[in-house]
Amino acid sequence: METEKIDKKEDPITEETREIKGKFKFNYDKHYKILFFIPLILLLISLVYLGIFYSKNGDIIYKDVSLSGGTSITVNGEIDQNQLENPLKAKFPDVSFTRLEDVTTRKQIALMIESSAPQDKLKTEIENILGYTLNEENSSIEFTGASLSQDFYRQLIIALIISFVLVSIVIFIMFKTFIPSTAVIFAIFADIAMSLALIDFFGIKLSAAGIAAFLMLIGYSVDTDILLTSRALKSREGSLNTRIFRAFKTGSLMTLTALAAVIPAFFLITGLPDSFRQIFLILALGLFADLINTWLTNASIIKWYCEKKGIK
Amino acid sequence: MKIGIRVWILIIVLALSLLSIQPWKSLENGVLIKSVETNSSAFNQGLRQGQIISSIDGKRVSGLEDFSEIISQKNYSENSSVKTIILTNQGEFILFSDKPPEITVSDIPNSNIRTGLDLSGGSRALVKAQDKELSSSEVNDLINIVENRLDVYGISDVRISSVLDLEGNNFMLVEIAGTTPEDLRNLIAQQGKFEAKIGNETVFVGGINRDITSVCRADQTCAYIEQCSQSGESEICKFRFEITLSAAAAQKHADITKNLEVNITSQGKYLSLPLDLYLDDILVDTLLISESLKGSVTTQVVVSGSGVGETRELAVKIAEKEMNKLQTILITGSLPYKLEIVKLDTISPSLGGSFTKNITLLGLIVFLIISIILFIKYRKIKITLSVILTMFSEAFITIGIAALIHWNLDAPSIAGIIAGMGTGVNDQIVILDESVSNLQISLKERIKRALFIIIGAFFTIVAAMLPLFWAGAGMLRGFALTTIIGVTVGILVTRPAFAEVVRKMGE
Repeated sequence: METEKIDKKEDPITEETREIKGKFKFNYDKHYKILFFIPLILLLISLVYLGIFYSKNGDIIYKDVSLSGGTSITVNGEIDQNQLENPLKAKFPDVSFTRLEDVTTRKQIALMIESSAPQDKLKTEIENILGYTLNEENSSIEFTGASLSQDFYRQLIIALIISFVLVSIVIFIMFKTFIPSTAVIFAIFADIAMSLALIDFFGIKLSAAGIAAFLMLIGYSVDTDILLTSRALKSREGSLNTRIFRAFKTGSLMTLTALAAVIPAFFLITGLPDSFRQIFLILALGLFADLINTWLTNASIIKWYCEKKGIK
Repeated sequence: MKIGIRVWILIIVLALSLLSIQPWKSLENGVLIKSVETNSSAFNQGLRQGQIISSIDGKRVSGLEDFSEIISQKNYSENSSVKTIILTNQGEFILFSDKPPEITVSDIPNSNIRTGLDLSGGSRALVKAQDKELSSSEVNDLINIVENRLDVYGISDVRISSVLDLEGNNFMLVEIAGTTPEDLRNLIAQQGKFEAKIGNETVFVGGINRDITSVCRADQTCAYIEQCSQSGESEICKFRFEITLSAAAAQKHADITKNLEVNITSQGKYLSLPLDLYLDDILVDTLLISESLKGSVTTQVVVSGSGVGETRELAVKIAEKEMNKLQTILITGSLPYKLEIVKLDTISPSLGGSFTKNITLLGLIVFLIISIILFIKYRKIKITLSVILTMFSEAFITIGIAALIHWNLDAPSIAGIIAGMGTGVNDQIVILDESVSNLQISLKERIKRALFIIIGAFFTIVAAMLPLFWAGAGMLRGFALTTIIGVTVGILVTRPAFAEVVRKMGE
């Protein structure tokens, strides 16, 4: 085998690779094609799930009031959700609640109430239940008109497609070869599809900022794919496996730090603007999906491609 | 270790960012002038928005409290000319007036960093014309009129801008710190088409330079709350103010009233038709015209209206507000289009404050976690430190640029900064890993390879974020902007400096 030959040159990296192989007791050369199918199956499940979701809900996501039109009222202070829930549900069946907490004390700082109802109606009803007037000192109100929110949604989807196309063009210019570039683009697509399916599965209502996060995910997740592809295709040091494993070591650290940057926003700190939390949640899910799609899907395609082309 | 040119560039850019942010601003004493009423004595003497008042009549003003205390101690009264000496950072101004200076002031902000409405609190309205697509020049005309209307009404600290979305629709975005959404709705969503009619004939319409030459405001002799009365459970207060009509409008009044009959009622002798006041085609008040005005060319007309409230105090307040609104509309005239508020957000300042606190803490946690991960991986304090410092520099320079271009950092903008920090760390890891491995080729070559990956990553993130500048009426522009600034700073300034440091460490 090729690796053996290079081993004799005492390449420290190849030793590293052998170590990894030893640990996992896994023959990458033999089984890498199987690895390719794991994410493929996950992707298919995601797509089927999104298809079913679409046929049920008439759209591929649950939209929050910024995308479907309606009102979001955030009342400051320790507002009891139970007090509001039943009377509001009776009048506005689609009403939903979110608690906002302070980071350090874990004390509730506000309660967010969302509904498709116009702001005056929802506000008056809440005022009646709470027994005081809502003003800019004790509450925040966001209202988005129905037609504007439709425009927002449509345009953000268009933006997402433009973003995808632009990034694809950049990838093609960078690598100038069809299959490796397509593999990268395929991995991005899989990232989006899988995280979207997860968002739907968790029942999260996407906001305009949430969709913007998908745009960033395209740009963010592609880093590791570029790293992998350029290491596999452009350098010649060490065997192909070595280069892929080294790219994996670097890339997984990259994804890990990226996750470290985005996860605290969701799990540690809840008292953040909703737009902010959604951006980070989607990036986190997308980066998880990216670990699979880069190091199983993309890596398998690249390895297969290199073997076909005789790149060692 | 000798400091190379790239690190010097980084240091200089950091220093410039510091200059741009000016965190020492909080050390300055005084109050900042937020707005000056146009054509007031304060304005005529040269006081302007943005000046910093450091003392009044020789007494030091170190904050808002000092300012209000000094002003309240001065005895301004009608028909007396009180001297006020105001010392600002742009020189001394001496006012002689019977009223306190017509300015609004605020404490000096801590730095040049501006936060968006979702973090500082305030109202924001996205407005479009009803049933009409506006061109960008039409939006700009509209902005001028609305700016004038808000200014006349007395709302300061307004930012109005035109927004173009992905599909070529033009919007007007109005952002106001600390105004109630009701004010905003009344002043924007109302076209303000004012008409005074006798029968079916229009006598005059609203707008100075049209049929009106002046409107009495803030003068107790010709604009005041007339009387209040109980009506069932609530109180009604009437207001009245005088306006002066143009000669042409006054002539029209004479021509129409000339032919009217005189009715004798229990309250006196009045003309057969009253003067009906319409606002946006809704009848708001009906004034009886006294016999003496029949056929006369009168330029002085009294406009009246009322406010209703649960208590007398509230009714007076509402009447005053209504009066101000009507005066504003009469002065500024009607808006050229019927407007529709398609998005209206009001963020409470206190919630915004806790958001800011949480975001700051989040930033620190992210720094800490990344430092720990890097230290575990590389086991070298020097490397960890240089990555962290680079990451910090990037965020700092991004904020510096945001301050320089007067960008308001809203939640999406800050998300962009943090995400940008994440990609920054990614790139540094690539540089580090390339430089410590593949020892058979030169370090320079290895760093060159790292740069290929980094430049690729740069272009993909810019390409990915670009469409956000226009999608969704630019509401998420901040997210794209700070991300792109962050990665650009990275590729031009911090990454080369970091690569140089790594190269020096390697050697």
